[in-house]
Amino acid sequence: MTTTDKPSQTTELQSMSPTEPGAQTMTLSVGPQHSGSGHMRLIVELDGDIIINAMPDPGYVHRGIEKIIELRNIIRSIPVIERPSIIDASNLNHAWVKAIEELQGVEPPARGQYLRCLLNEMNRIMSHLYWLSIYGVFLGHTTMFMWPLGDRELFIDLAERLTGARITYSYLVPGGVRRDLPQGFAEEAIKRTIYFEKRLDEYEKIFFENPLFTSRAKGIGTLSPERAIALGSTGPTLRGSGIDRDLRKDEPYAAYSELDFKVHTRPDGDSYSRAMVHMDEMRESSQLIRQILKRLPSGPVRRKAPIVVPRGEAYARVESARGECSFYMIGEGGDKPYRARYITGSYRNMAAIPEVLKGVRLADMPTSWWSIDYWPVEADR
Amino acid sequence: MSITHEREEELIKAIKQRFPADVKDATVLRQSRIDVTVAPERIVDIAVFLRDKLGFDHPSGVSAVDYNREARFEIVYHLCSVQNKNQRDIVIDLKESVPRNIARAPSLVSVWPGVENYERESLEMFGLRFDGHPHPEKLFLNDNWNGPPPLRKEVRFPTD
Amino acid sequence: MSAQKSAQSDDPVELLADSLNVWVGKLSDIVHKVIDTEPIRNVINWARMYSLWPVNITTACCSAEFGAASGARHDLERFGVLAYGSLRQSDLIIIEGTITKKMAKRLRTIYDQMMLPRYVIAMGDCAISGGLFHDSYSIVNGAHEFLPVDVFVPGCPPRPEALEQGIIMLQEKIRKSKVYPEG
Repeated sequence: MTTTDKPSQTTELQSMSPTEPGAQTMTLSVGPQHSGSGHMRLIVELDGDIIINAMPDPGYVHRGIEKIIELRNIIRSIPVIERPSIIDASNLNHAWVKAIEELQGVEPPARGQYLRCLLNEMNRIMSHLYWLSIYGVFLGHTTMFMWPLGDRELFIDLAERLTGARITYSYLVPGGVRRDLPQGFAEEAIKRTIYFEKRLDEYEKIFFENPLFTSRAKGIGTLSPERAIALGSTGPTLRGSGIDRDLRKDEPYAAYSELDFKVHTRPDGDSYSRAMVHMDEMRESSQLIRQILKRLPSGPVRRKAPIVVPRGEAYARVESARGECSFYMIGEGGDKPYRARYITGSYRNMAAIPEVLKGVRLADMPTSWWSIDYWPVEADR
Repeated sequence: MSITHEREEELIKAIKQRFPADVKDATVLRQSRIDVTVAPERIVDIAVFLRDKLGFDHPSGVSAVDYNREARFEIVYHLCSVQNKNQRDIVIDLKESVPRNIARAPSLVSVWPGVENYERESLEMFGLRFDGHPHPEKLFLNDNWNGPPPLRKEVRFPTD
Repeated sequence: MSAQKSAQSDDPVELLADSLNVWVGKLSDIVHKVIDTEPIRNVINWARMYSLWPVNITTACCSAEFGAASGARHDLERFGVLAYGSLRQSDLIIIEGTITKKMAKRLRTIYDQMMLPRYVIAMGDCAISGGLFHDSYSIVNGAHEFLPVDVFVPGCPPRPEALEQGIIMLQEKIRKSKVYPEG
């Protein structure tokens, strides 16, 4: 601002007028006790009702997992690894066993690899459905809260028959998986996926084509592809900005190199694109489950692997429901890792929250923010 | 292993050619995993080179490791590429070692804005300071823990 | 304080007010006793036990099972449990999992701001004893360390059925409780 003009009383008063943009801002603390925040706090700076800055305040669920897994042996660590995102437990577990197997040089048998993919894809659907139900809560759409949670139970039942637990499976162990398919599982699973895909069409009709949702999501909370890459976003957030990044294709692990599937992207980078990427991925995963069950090879599901982390370093990563989940593991030859760095999809997407929320109206904050699929427990670890 | 690591070797050659004196060590760990250890003083230049010339456009994470027996910290930037389609699977571990009593390194936020949170976490978990970081504050441990940086090896907890 | 005051003042209005206060205090005691008799107490407790609204606060990963419990299959609303945003209108905290030190402070603040009567359910092993993360540097080993807990629901995470049982146990507890809690 130049001060060459005569500084009269009136101009000073005018510049302090609250109607002028940017003259008065308000800082608002959203969460942790708030129906639109989850286990975290967002410090939002507002000008009128437009967000000019947003700062996430994580750490409400920081449990020191990186310290704990340095102190326990690799098998006892598996449940701890799963806890950051129990709605997506299998994928996180996969990153852990993959890091160990890379160091040990153990390759699981083919049937074990397929069963891993099976549970991973079921988990991806469950995680996306949970995300969708919370999205319904945030938007005040009670049907979209009840339906996905009801349909999620379809897959929870399947997973329970496969692993014995509803959501925390500890199914993947170094060398393979814990147990083989139960009898009659494949037929039941195929039936359920077909039913589920019909339900997804209904979701689209009632929610994703509903003006209640589209008017609050289309063109709002945009993230450009350049910024998305620079901030290190990952998973559906990155694919919602039009970049076809998916580790299942780019760095195929387990049985993904032998399976046919597409990587879904949406070009716009707004809340609607990110939401639709989730929908497309659920369809793809449902199709993948049927494919895996049809192509499932016979043989053992597990190979013997020692409970030891050999000396060396490994960087293993998988595509979890919320993006890349990676382990940087340093072994010393004992049964515990010397250091295991744990980076999850939500943690990486945390950097995108301020970017997405800038310029959005406060009333649209839940739509934009939750479309990132940021699960605070997973980010805080 | 019988698989040749042509792409990996080529990347290492490119880095070594440009910074012959500053690259202390560069090896291919296994397929699509490269280890590059560099001097902390030149890490910003090397990072800019990796980003602009070799196409490593984002870090998929930053780790810090406490080697207390060797009295040093190691900071590892795990760099990946998305725009360059034929090296999407490659991860370069860009490493730098800082002595334990100094615990100070240049920040790479100016190169990759995405490392901001990771460097803040290294600050609170290891007590590492990053010069030039825009918000050198605690991230997760704000209000959670006031003791010494918890991920340092000398900090023990009853679970041990 | 009041004795000192009455000794000092000889203003008839104040004296009258003092004596009236004594009388009103007695009256409220009488009303409390009347309300706490069997038929009225039963009606009030019946109303309380079937409209337990938990505060919308999630502490950790057990929230996934709380979500499943409030969802279509398990439907907590049939027990009168509906997660609610405003803590002034809610009467229950369900602590869903690990409590970090940062969250513990907020939980205590929330508990203090809630209206009486208020209840606490500690859900999951972490909220009972720290569970898998016992003795970690940033967590509190159990909700009982800073809140009076009514019902503990063990499990890691507890199944929705277990949470439902916990809620039924709390309802039984309310059925037997007095209308005016002590303190």
